[in-house]
Amino acid sequence: MIGLLHSIETMGLVDGPGTRTIFFLQGCPLRCAYCHNPDTQKKTGGQEVTPQRILEIARRYRSYYGEEGGVTFSGGEPLLQGQFLAACLQLLKQEGYNTCIDTSGFGNAKYYPEILPLVDTLILDVKAFDRKSFADITGIDGFDVYLKFIQNLDLYGFKGQIWVRHVMVPGYTDNAESMQEFIKIIKPISRRVDRIEILPYHTAGVKKYEELGIPYRLEGVEPMDKDRAKELEIYANKLFADSLKQDRREREEKKQAKFKSLKDREVASEAEKSEILKNLRNLPLLSDVADEDAETVLKEVILSNIKAGEYIFKTGDLPEFMYLIYKGQMKIFFNSIDGEEQIFYIYTDGDFVGGLNLLVDEPYRYIGQALTDCKVVAIPRHIFDRYFYNSPVVLRSILVKSFERIRWAEELILRLSTSNASMKTAGLLLKLVKRIGVKTDEGIRLDLSLNREELGNYSGLRRETITRKLGEFRELGYIELVGNRTIIVKDVEALEAYVL
Amino acid sequence: MNTQSWDKYMPSTAHITSFFWKGDMYMKQNLFDREEMAKAWEGFVPGNWSEEIDVRDFIQKNYTPYLGDQSFLEGPTDDTKSLWNKVDEMIQEEVRSKTIKVDLERFSGIDNFAPGYIDKDRELIVGLQTDEPLKRIMNPYGGFRMVKNALEAYGMEMDPDLEQKFNEYRKTHNQGVFDAYTKEMRTVRSVGLLTGLPDAYGRGRIIGDYRRVPLYGVDYLKEMRIRDKENLTGPATDEVIRLREEFTDQIRALDAMKSMAAKYGCDIGRPARNAQEAVQWLYLAYLAAVKENNGAAMSFGRNTAFIDIYIERDLQKGLIDEKTAQALVDQLVIKLRLVRHLRTPEYDQLFAGDPTWVTEAIGGIGLDGRPLVTKTAYRFLHTLTNLGTSPEPNMTVLWSKDLPREFKEYCAYMSIKTASIQYENDDLMRPIYGDDYAIACCVSAMRVGKDMQFFGARANLAKALLYAINGGVDEIKRDKVTGGPITVISGIEKNTEEVLSYDTVVESFKKVMDKLAEIYVNTMNTIHYMHDKYAYEASQLALHDPDVHRFIAFGVAGLSIVADSLSAIKYAKVKPIRNEEGIAIDFEIEGDFPRYGNDDDRVDSIAVEVNKYFIEALRRHPAYRNAEHTLSLLTITSNVIYGKKTGTTPDGRKKGEPFAPGANPSNGADKLGALASLNSVAKLPYKGVNQDGISNTFSIVPSALGKNLDERVVNLTNIMEGYFNQNAFHINVNVLDKDLLIDAMENPEKYPNLTIRVSGYAVRFNQLDREHQLDVINRTFHEFV
Repeated sequence: MIGLLHSIETMGLVDGPGTRTIFFLQGCPLRCAYCHNPDTQKKTGGQEVTPQRILEIARRYRSYYGEEGGVTFSGGEPLLQGQFLAACLQLLKQEGYNTCIDTSGFGNAKYYPEILPLVDTLILDVKAFDRKSFADITGIDGFDVYLKFIQNLDLYGFKGQIWVRHVMVPGYTDNAESMQEFIKIIKPISRRVDRIEILPYHTAGVKKYEELGIPYRLEGVEPMDKDRAKELEIYANKLFADSLKQDRREREEKKQAKFKSLKDREVASEAEKSEILKNLRNLPLLSDVADEDAETVLKEVILSNIKAGEYIFKTGDLPEFMYLIYKGQMKIFFNSIDGEEQIFYIYTDGDFVGGLNLLVDEPYRYIGQALTDCKVVAIPRHIFDRYFYNSPVVLRSILVKSFERIRWAEELILRLSTSNASMKTAGLLLKLVKRIGVKTDEGIRLDLSLNREELGNYSGLRRETITRKLGEFRELGYIELVGNRTIIVKDVEALEAYVL
Repeated sequence: MNTQSWDKYMPSTAHITSFFWKGDMYMKQNLFDREEMAKAWEGFVPGNWSEEIDVRDFIQKNYTPYLGDQSFLEGPTDDTKSLWNKVDEMIQEEVRSKTIKVDLERFSGIDNFAPGYIDKDRELIVGLQTDEPLKRIMNPYGGFRMVKNALEAYGMEMDPDLEQKFNEYRKTHNQGVFDAYTKEMRTVRSVGLLTGLPDAYGRGRIIGDYRRVPLYGVDYLKEMRIRDKENLTGPATDEVIRLREEFTDQIRALDAMKSMAAKYGCDIGRPARNAQEAVQWLYLAYLAAVKENNGAAMSFGRNTAFIDIYIERDLQKGLIDEKTAQALVDQLVIKLRLVRHLRTPEYDQLFAGDPTWVTEAIGGIGLDGRPLVTKTAYRFLHTLTNLGTSPEPNMTVLWSKDLPREFKEYCAYMSIKTASIQYENDDLMRPIYGDDYAIACCVSAMRVGKDMQFFGARANLAKALLYAINGGVDEIKRDKVTGGPITVISGIEKNTEEVLSYDTVVESFKKVMDKLAEIYVNTMNTIHYMHDKYAYEASQLALHDPDVHRFIAFGVAGLSIVADSLSAIKYAKVKPIRNEEGIAIDFEIEGDFPRYGNDDDRVDSIAVEVNKYFIEALRRHPAYRNAEHTLSLLTITSNVIYGKKTGTTPDGRKKGEPFAPGANPSNGADKLGALASLNSVAKLPYKGVNQDGISNTFSIVPSALGKNLDERVVNLTNIMEGYFNQNAFHINVNVLDKDLLIDAMENPEKYPNLTIRVSGYAVRFNQLDREHQLDVINRTFHEFV
């Protein structure tokens, strides 16, 4: 397989995290007015190269990559050479390279499911914030394509982080309203966004237009003032953090609306009820219950129909029941600090949950929600205490279940360590504010006994990542760094927006 | 810090002396005070160092590695600030007014000058080369004309009586060399095939083990040297006679050193008792060297771990606090920044500024695996913050993959802030030189107090390649008398091919290199024979072991041009355009060819082969005093001058255009970004080939290095990590905006202390002439964003 390569930059330090080798692929469907690499636009030309060759080149630079660096595919539009890109990523991933693509979301969608699961960082170039401006800037009526791309990222199997970028041209988007639009249109991917960057328009590429004999559409437009661009970048980040907070609030409200009492959902049909109870008697869980007691038990339990999406219990609820799933699927999950839903377990027919909570009388930490329409049997506390508490069979079942869950949780810890760095860093800082923060005139002072490495470990981030994030927060004005061991938190609210 | 008491190991001082005098039949009387020694060493862990001169052992047994970060560092004291402001004003004034001060009444010498001060009451560390800061010394021993020309250029005149008497009774190194030069040697010199030979001034590149003075005191060192002399028996051959004379000169130099120090109220006859004395004694030992000599590069050595031991001991005892510890280092550095030599404006032009190469090697790893990073390594680098940036001392971090990450990042941070640090690969040098070597000048490693080198500038291999095409005839220079072409290398056939063929050119090029190597070695032998004879560095060699090991250091300029030219000949079509005399004055190149700097083995291997061939050719010719041949790829800033003297080359470089500095790829040749360029440079072999160093300068604009400072620090650290892990040798790091340099060129007054790294050292940008400033600006600046 052959790809068309425009050029290579072996020292890319701003296109994705860390030190990166950048492969600029030839060809782009867009004709952005400000494009500073018009020579990459043509779909022909460039140097022919195989995925194997790409891998060989990457190997030559691996020693520079550190913890975060790796390979970036840019362009042109790298997604345009989808098959080639997929092949390159596969080879690179086999050898453990960190990967990044710098894209506007225009390519052959057929290959997206192959490509996107292999991408660690996606640099998403957001050209414009509405259909008309998009067409103006890019010369293509492609706003819907772009929207579809970002809406479907999860569907394509993308699991990485996103750096959102926007080139700011004076007179186009250099105003606060545009930034509000900007944040609005990246909403579908907000949970994956790690960085929002405004790139001030510059005129360094103009010469190339002359050489290529292409008219330059932004003739006479001055370069974007860097300070103004920085201001708006800070503003956009603030808006973004606020939008995260807003999202979470809405999610929370929706969730509340879905809680109903079990009684309201009780199975109505008596025939069905007796059918279920009859079958229940055959479950191993009840095998230990004496026949004369079984009747009482079955009389006291509540049989409920839970619709898909409805909740059974939520965080903080006191344990009143042990739940037994008679039919259907139920998930137990938790909303982690980055707002991502973290599923712990999925239970199905015959599984039970809440027994331990009854045993130790502790409120639920997690949320139970029906994935499909379920029939759930709720065993009330007094019944549990009286008939199950002393049953070796029941206790053993609970123990076995618990062990499975511990195992599951351990694996989960590993998975958790790959989620959003901004949120983790903000979360860590807030944790520290609470624990060791000292109020001063400049802000809340954190005198740490930890170096960057330890800070990283504490928050589940790599040293280089936490250094980068702290630098970013400093730039955004959230914190001030004094030497290596003192952090002054200037804007707790901003940090909270990422986390709470 | 160890807390073991000396007494535990040494119930009395008797056993030290018993060793010192073991088997000694000659000395009847101690010159040194044993009690003093024991007192000065209280609290130190004894070892071989307390039995004989062995500074490395002292360091290893007593230093405290520091693995933390920079948060302990303190700012400057009021005294330090006041001193530095005063001195800085003087330095700026010197640059602004282009005038200098010179002591016109006496010549160089360890003890020839009255003591001088900046502001006596504020100085923790005293001593100046002459009686006033920045007043320069006339040193005629390397060459009288150099002194005279320099004075003339600044409109000054020396005492006529002094001049007359000196010329009547003394001969100089320069005269000696020219008395013994052959016609051939003069020719290669005048056409610019060999340039920068130390035949008219001090050769430098010798690092005295200045630490011996604070650790042992001069009295003890003198006694040891007297013994060395007495032990030198056997037939009176040339070498034995010379050594005896040298030892005697060294003993006199030690006396002079002690007397000079006494004028500052310091008794360096005895060892230093505390941190202040240790730093003071150390500096006085170095000061003696720069009063006596005017070598091009006179490094300071590797002192931070040594000083740290004394500071740590005083801190433990509660005698000083961190503020004072830092003040000692700050004030030492102020003194090092004041070192000056009297040079001609042409010399300053060649080296771009007024460099003295007071190189201090910092960090590295010990043979036992412990990092030689101490708090004083941080304190030393921190002077760039406390006193602002400065080209001197030439801070050289010995990089190892095993250095603590905190330290690496601090260095990267300081590089980004100051562009004043260079890095050299300790993992390459340690296996060869051990863990107590230092860097002479820019990149020349030598074991402190054990090795020295005969410095020998460099050969212009780009010109040599043209000779291979032009039958050994110079492409520019013509005979002054006849006006005809000059044949510099005889026995080379002129190439007459319409399109140059690789094999023919390479074969001929090898012949030129063979012949050049022979002339080069013979020329160097002549120079160093005369230097030993007429301008011997007694004070520095007094601080070496008696059986000093000598390197003879050759150099190459224009390697990137040679590699690219041969690659053009091999992979493209190169047609020479010849003048009526058949000399190629231009080249027509058809087609593309790989260029050095793109991590492309096709051409990088050519560079390596040429490199290896040349050192082998040099080794075939024996060196003066059995010195060991080494080679460097280092141009300092003379890449501009070399360019001027070299015609158009087959890689497309035009006549007069500057070479790339050191081992850097040619300007604009690297098309794949900086890391490809670093990868190419990393292929050049160090051990056994370029063992005198490979210099590479890396410039990058801040915005390309990362979005914010923290990110830049991580990125720069990782770049160096990646580069050195591939066995690369050296890197100069500049993190600067090109626009800022252009602005500094137009408005020098706005940037009085702007420092940048060039080849193997740093310069004050304002001191570069316009041509060099433009060269720096035009050099590959990595600004991909």
